[in-house]
Order: sequence, then structure tokens, then C-alpha cells
Amino acid sequence: MLLGMKIKTDTPVAKKAREGVMEFLLMNHPLDCPICDQGGECDLQDQSMAFGSDRGRFTEMKRSVVDKNLGPLVKTVMTRCIQCTRCVRFATEVAGVQDLGMLGRGSGEEIGTYVEKVMTSELSGNVIDICPVGALTSKPFAFKARNWELKGTETIDVTDAVGSNIRIDSRGPEVMRILPRLNEDINEEWISDKTRFCYDGLKRQRLNDPMIRVADGRFKPVSWRDAFAVVAEVVHQVKPEEIVGVAGQLSDAESMIALKDFLNRLGSNNVWCERNGSHHDADLRSTYLMNTSIADLEKADVFLLIGTQPRVEAAMINARIRKTVRATNAKVGYIGPETNFNYDHQHLGTGPQTLIELAERRHPFSSALLNAKNPAIILGAGLFDRKDKDAIFFAVGTIAEYANAIRPDWNGYNVLLLSAAQAAALDLGLVPESENSIESAKFVYLMGADDVNLEKVPSDAFVVYQGHHGDQSVYRANVILPASAFSEKEGTYENTEGCTQQTLPAVPIVGDARDDWKIIRALSEVSGIQLPYDSLEAIRSRIRTVAPNLLHVDEREPATFPPSLKPKVTQKLSQDSFRTAVENFYMTDSITRASKIMAQCSALLLKK
Amino acid sequence: MASVVKSAFRAIREKGVSNFLRELRDEGYLRCLPDGNLLQTKIHNIGAKLVGVDKFGNKYYEKLEGMQYGRHRWVEYAEKSRYNASQVPPEWHGWLHYITDHTGDEASPLLMLKPQRYGIEHKENFSGEGDEFIYHSKGHALNPGQRDWTRYQPWQPTK
Repeated sequence: MLLGMKIKTDTPVAKKAREGVMEFLLMNHPLDCPICDQGGECDLQDQSMAFGSDRGRFTEMKRSVVDKNLGPLVKTVMTRCIQCTRCVRFATEVAGVQDLGMLGRGSGEEIGTYVEKVMTSELSGNVIDICPVGALTSKPFAFKARNWELKGTETIDVTDAVGSNIRIDSRGPEVMRILPRLNEDINEEWISDKTRFCYDGLKRQRLNDPMIRVADGRFKPVSWRDAFAVVAEVVHQVKPEEIVGVAGQLSDAESMIALKDFLNRLGSNNVWCERNGSHHDADLRSTYLMNTSIADLEKADVFLLIGTQPRVEAAMINARIRKTVRATNAKVGYIGPETNFNYDHQHLGTGPQTLIELAERRHPFSSALLNAKNPAIILGAGLFDRKDKDAIFFAVGTIAEYANAIRPDWNGYNVLLLSAAQAAALDLGLVPESENSIESAKFVYLMGADDVNLEKVPSDAFVVYQGHHGDQSVYRANVILPASAFSEKEGTYENTEGCTQQTLPAVPIVGDARDDWKIIRALSEVSGIQLPYDSLEAIRSRIRTVAPNLLHVDEREPATFPPSLKPKVTQKLSQDSFRTAVENFYMTDSITRASKIMAQCSALLLKK
Repeated sequence: MASVVKSAFRAIREKGVSNFLRELRDEGYLRCLPDGNLLQTKIHNIGAKLVGVDKFGNKYYEKLEGMQYGRHRWVEYAEKSRYNASQVPPEWHGWLHYITDHTGDEASPLLMLKPQRYGIEHKENFSGEGDEFIYHSKGHALNPGQRDWTRYQPWQPTK
């Protein structure tokens, strides 16, 4: 195209040329739109309606292509494929797996895995979205609904700490599917398979009635009034320091502040969020946030990953690192156990020993860090559980200092959190007073906490489980209070980079369950220590006094002070090497553990 | 007429009065009084050839001589009071409606095609026979099991 050129787009010649292109595209495309899952959201349908001819001249036989087995998530009807190769490009360029490719030439051309194998990417579900026709569709969603029957709700994913923007498509009281929403700062236009396919877990193993454990050890469904009466009676029989509260990894900020206020009014401050470790210092926001921000990871030229496996902990952040590595040949150094990467990296070591070498500049990778313009150091939140975590953080601080990673224009000191509730919990100050409070607890309030180790809880302790799934902790509970899941409530979540986002209810609450904060508010009234808020607005104005950044929705609030303000640590580093924080990418919380699709994925794709 | 009376007397002599009366009732002769349709079928049956009896007990007759072509096959339903055409099973339907000369008892090529996986037993049409016979979908107010399903599966306490 040249300057001054005139392009005519509405002449009969242009119209005829478009019709010709459409005719070629439709030549081998089957006319099975009425039974195709893409029907109604098909690019080819739209194109042929807009530009196609009103009649076909094709009388020959259409070609047919054998379907490929791409695993439990992606259904293939390869006869519908128009060879646009978007899926091949996505798999190679974004997902970083060389699984898909083009085979054959001419009319024998087809998309496939070169040898019979399933697609082994944690982002494989995205090929469903980018396929313009119905060749790649969602297997769990196959023949379940039509897209025009669905109600879309724009909300937030909570299965990891990224806070991917999603749209929950529901029909009546059922979540039918989950699709990504565009947010260039967080998830771009992709979501992980866990986010996309965990939704069937929302329909299984749900707690729908308050229950109490009666004398013979069985659970009996009771009314809310009776359940509260039982809890309120016990609450006043125990000493304040024997009261412990644990928030789960899917908790929203509103319910966490309610839990903290409730326990504080009872006289206890032993409240924390699981996976944050028993005693985490929440004084400086920069010590637990991804200070670089997810989008700015693209500006980094050297990555140092310490005790984190981003591919399983936060697949979207891993995709961002991969994008950077591909675009700028950024170096990646990794300290931790053997794991899978889908980009070039150097495995520097497995434990704190390598960290000491790096801090003392004895390691070859130190020179890479020294020469780096924008080094990004990413610490895994799995390190929070270690006894020597202060020493690790201090050593990392030393590395960040000599690498000049913390400057006014660049902050390369990052912590990659594991779950959706962690950042908000630390912002709200859910930090336990004493380290071993759970071992002497007489009253334990679990708000959706399923990954907390309950073996240390004394056998005579009274355990209240409030949550939406009968998962793990529920078996230890004395009272079960059913709560709503993230798809059923309005809640505030903060992702690992400090960006506040809100979920919106897509479907009604199941059974007799209630929102988390409402349960705690009602319980406080029955216990005689009424909390001073009874609406979401009121509870948010309470949050404003603690962490005002949680009210600035869709805004990233960076940390004000650098982590170097922390006092010098004299703790010794232990010799234990780092461990993997997430064993199974597909099953990390109560929703994904209840999901059948996730169970299939872990059985098939994680097979060693 | 005389032969009918004669054969009736012979039957009484052979079976005894009580057996004869029971047979009279079972075979629907008593229903002939209020139901002229059935009476006409019974009169038709005289001299006709019994071609076969299906699994429900319906009797299929054929009479070629003296009958108008196209009226020479008929059925006497096993059910004497509430009979209707949907009680004829598919294997006899073809013969009865002059579609084929294969009777339902023969292994006709059509019968060999009966699908094993999804083919189900023939059932008559129960429309108008009362609510308890009619199919109601699982959300229907008249379905007795209408409340035994949920959109979600609740957690069941095991202990």
C-alpha cells in the first residue's frame, strides 16, 4: 500500500472476491452447524453471513479428517478445521509446547500432534478460544448448552494468586463454563486450564446445611439458630488465648476482616491465612508482593527464581516470563528442586547453599545479575513455611542490593504467592500472635481452611468449619457452617502483585448456605459481641480503616517502602533444599479437588 | 348359524357348563353384547384362518375367499374392553397393514434389524389412560420422584 493509494472496499469486484474466498473456505467445511458447539460464536459463520455468497456451487465430495485425541479438555472435530494454524502458533509461542503442528500438503493437510499423544500444556484450554471454527471445542462443555442461553458474569478467578479476569457463563443455577476476559496487565487474554475447567467442582461435594456432630460422632443437619447456639456456648467457655482462627486460601477480604474482628473481640489475635506460614511479618507490603508487577516482568532481562515453580504455581505468570524470554532472550536462573520449564533456564542449585554462594558473589550467575539492567528476583511463597525463612529473605535482600534490583524506577524484588487470599490477608494483618497457638487451641475456627495441618490440634478442641466444600478439614469439625463459593458471592480479592479485584455472583447460593461474612456477623450477635457492620458497604468502610488499598478496585497499589528497611537477621540458613510448593497443578484447593475434570487431568497428564 | 349353535353344544358337552361359561367370558363373547365392534369381529372370525398369536395374545386372522381385498386381514385384541391399534407390536404391524406377507412369527429381515443397544420392548400408547401411565419428565408436577434431584451434589457425612 502506498501513499495516496485509493482502496475501494465496496465495489462489485471486491464483493465477488470475498465471496470467492469464502467459497474456498467452505469447500471442505462440513455443514454441521446445528450440531456444532461453536454454533453461534463461530468466526466462520459470521464471515460467511457477512461476506459469503447466498448459494453454493460445490457438488463434489467434502474431505474428511480423522479426529485427534488431545486429552480430557480439548475435543477435536478435525473435519471442521480450516487450517488457520492459530492453535499451532499458540502452542509453540505462548504455551511453549511443541505438541501441535501441520502435517501433509494440499488437500491432505491437517493439524495434529505428530505422534499420537495428548496435549501436555497447562494452558491448553486456550486453543478452544482461539479456534475460529468448531474444530477445537471444550470437551466438558460438549453438547451441554448453547452460547446464547448463557448469562455472562464478569468476575475474578481464585484458584491461584494471579487473579485472572474471567467470565462465568451460567444457565439458571448452574455454572456452564468459564472463559477469560482481556486484561493486559494480568492474564492478557489467556487463562490456565485449572481456572477454565474447575467449575464442575462447584457442583460436587457442596455443604448445604449447617451440621453439628452429635454424641455418637455423626453429623446431624440442624437449623442455623441451633448451630450458632452451640458455637456461641463453646466460645465463652474457652480462654481467649486458646481461640484460633484460620482463613482459607479462597477467602475474600470482607470475610477475613470479619473473622479477625470477631476473634479480636473474643480476646484472641491468633488468626492467620493458611499458606502464609505460622508467623509471617506483614509490616512491609514489599516483602510479600510481586513488586515488579506482572506486566512489567516483560522489561526484566535476568530472572532469578528462588524456590518457586511458576509453571504450576501461577501458570499465567509463567507465560509472561516465557514471553519475555522469547522476546528478549532474558536469562533465567532457578534455585529449587528439579522441575519442568518451558523456556531456557539454568538450574543453579536446589537449596540455600546456592543462595549463600549467590549472596557472596561466588556463583557464576552473580555476574549475570550484576550486569543486568532490570533483574527480577522471584521468591516462592512455599518458602513461608520454612523455619529459616527470615535468613532466606535476608540473603535474597543482599542479592537484590548488589544486583541493584531495587531502584526508584525499577523494583525487582518479588514474592510469588500461592493462593487468592494471601495478599489481602497480610494487608489486613491476619498474622498470629504466637507461633504454636494451634497446638494449645481449644476452639479452632476454620474459614474454608482445608490445607492447614490439623494433626496438631488437640483432640478435645472444638473445631468449627465454615466453607463451601466437604473437603479435608470438614472431617475434624464439630460444627459445619455452609458458606458460598466464589461464583456465588461478591468479594474482594487482592492478587499477588497487589491489584485489588472483585468477584460478582454468577449463580445463586446452594442449599441453606450463606455468605462468609454474614455467617460471622450472625455468630457474633448470637455470642453477644455484635460486630458493627451489617452490609457490604459497612464492612468495606471497616476495611478502609485497615487497608484502604482493598477498596480501590481494579487498581494496583504498589508497596511504599522497600524490603531493605527490615532489620538485620542473625538466623542461620538450614541445609535443607527447597521443596515444591504445589505437587499437583490441577488440584490445589477445595473446589479443584472436588472437580471430576481436574481429577481426570491429574490422572492422565501428571502420569509419570 | 346352525353350525355355530351345534359347535356351542359340542363344546358344552366336552368341557362342562362351568368351563364353557368361563371360556365364554375370557374370549370376550359376553363383551359382544355391549360392544358391537367386537361382535362383528367374532362373526368375521367364523371360517377365517388363525394366522398367529403375538406375545401379548392378540390373534391375527386372514380370510381370502369371499372377502374384499384389503379387508382380508384383521386382529382380535387380547384386551377385550380397552383395545386400540397401538397394542399391535411392530413385528405384526407390517403383516396386518399389508406392508409385507411375513407374519410376526417369522424371522423376517425387518426383525433381524432390531437394534440391540437402544431397541426397547413395544409398549402401547397410554394416552388418556390416566396420569399414572403417562410419561412425565423429571421436573413435572405429576412425577412422583420430581424432588429427588438437585443441580449440585451435596456432601454426605460418612461418620
